[in-house]
Amino acid sequence: MEAPQVTVMPVTGGTINMMEYLLQGSVFDQALESLLHRLRGLCDNMEPETFTDHELVYLLKGQQGNPFILRARRSLSHPTSPWHLRYLGQPEVGDKSRHALVRNCVDVAASHSLPEFLNEMGFRMDHEFVANGHIFRKGAMKIVVSKLSRILVPGNTENTERLSLSFLVELSVLAPAGQDTMSEDMRSFAEQLKPLVHLEKIDPSKQSASFMGT
Amino acid sequence: MQQREEKQLEAAVESLISRVAHVKNALHSFIYKLENEYERLTWPSVLDNFALLSGQLNTINKLLKNEKTPSFRNQVIIPLLLSPDRDEDLAKLTELRVPVFSHEIVPDYLRTKPDPEVEEQEKQLSVEAARIGPEVAQKQIQTLNKLCSNLLEKLNNPRDDRDAESSAIRQNKPSFNPADTNALVGAVAFGKGLSKCRPPGPVAPGHPGQGPMMSGGPTLQQVTIGGGSNQQAVMGGPGAPQQPGQPGKMPSSIKTNIKSASGSMHPYNR
Repeated sequence: MEAPQVTVMPVTGGTINMMEYLLQGSVFDQALESLLHRLRGLCDNMEPETFTDHELVYLLKGQQGNPFILRARRSLSHPTSPWHLRYLGQPEVGDKSRHALVRNCVDVAASHSLPEFLNEMGFRMDHEFVANGHIFRKGAMKIVVSKLSRILVPGNTENTERLSLSFLVELSVLAPAGQDTMSEDMRSFAEQLKPLVHLEKIDPSKQSASFMGT
Repeated sequence: MQQREEKQLEAAVESLISRVAHVKNALHSFIYKLENEYERLTWPSVLDNFALLSGQLNTINKLLKNEKTPSFRNQVIIPLLLSPDRDEDLAKLTELRVPVFSHEIVPDYLRTKPDPEVEEQEKQLSVEAARIGPEVAQKQIQTLNKLCSNLLEKLNNPRDDRDAESSAIRQNKPSFNPADTNALVGAVAFGKGLSKCRPPGPVAPGHPGQGPMMSGGPTLQQVTIGGGSNQQAVMGGPGAPQQPGQPGKMPSSIKTNIKSASGSMHPYNR
């Protein structure tokens, strides 16, 4: 008996391509309180959420070109929650007038064996840090105010040292590819946070170029 | 002439009664709202009620000051008959608030002088006023007038002055540092200042260019090709997610990995 002919290609991918729109800024420690008050007023009414996360960045070095980067994050305040694995693509260089940084984004949850799994796959951990701060939401927009700390002894998240005297402020939206309406909303929200914080699109690749030049 | 005065008095009393009835109704509905709908009540609607009452009191005041109104001070109300018995007509007239026209209600309802405590306070105030003398009083009046006019002026000429002052104050205290922003973004994006091979020690924040670390393994900043990456090329194949050919994207390393894997060492040769 012959198997029936396959006339339709099997479905290979199941996810919609999600793009992350990002604006970043920073604020001094002294101005943090006023920023939190302003965000509490502007954003959706919910209990203020704090978080403490430990992020590890894994690299897979190919034979040529840029290494492949995966970011693994786990919550130190909820130790039993699953790990979160994220891939961020290169920023899209299409539209100069677009107000936010746009890059492809793939997010998955993973079990607690993620670090060993990545090591077995060939990834090597490049750097890690601890981020803790507050998270706010307004509709589809997510605003994260966090302070970054360097981990002094690899693997030991208790012993950390602050990276700078400022808090990092990030405004991000996850939207399916092709939907470009969010950047206007993000820009008007960013206007409301001035002059406390200037949220702008900072291209990290430009940063690294200047870094390597010095 | 007396008839005219009588007619005036009657008309004045009639209009006063109707105005007072309006105030009573407004108070009644306001109290009802406060008692029964207090969960849904908003501050603007409470303010509206107060405004209504104040308007009605204003009309009563105007009515009393009206020149056509005879002076009520010259009229005296004398109770002719007080009885402790319940009077049905009076009860109906007053909506059961005054059922008995007796000795108890006379001091309250027919009072023309202010309460004893209020009288005491007024006496103290007038003694105080007489004590300080007219010049001092005049000076105090002038100071009060000046303060009020200053305040009114500040409130009435808002934007320009206020904005100039506040922007000057804010510029003295910046709340963020762009160099810090760049340092933090660099740390999050590619681990600037965070690389694990870096010896732990104090790092001045916002100073870019720590210099690539020569010790230890290669870091992100140096794009090196590690040895033995061949066996990793196979892993690169299944490990690579989708998106070939996105418009306007900078070329990523994924294509190269796939190419090398399918080119050389595919374990499942067809």
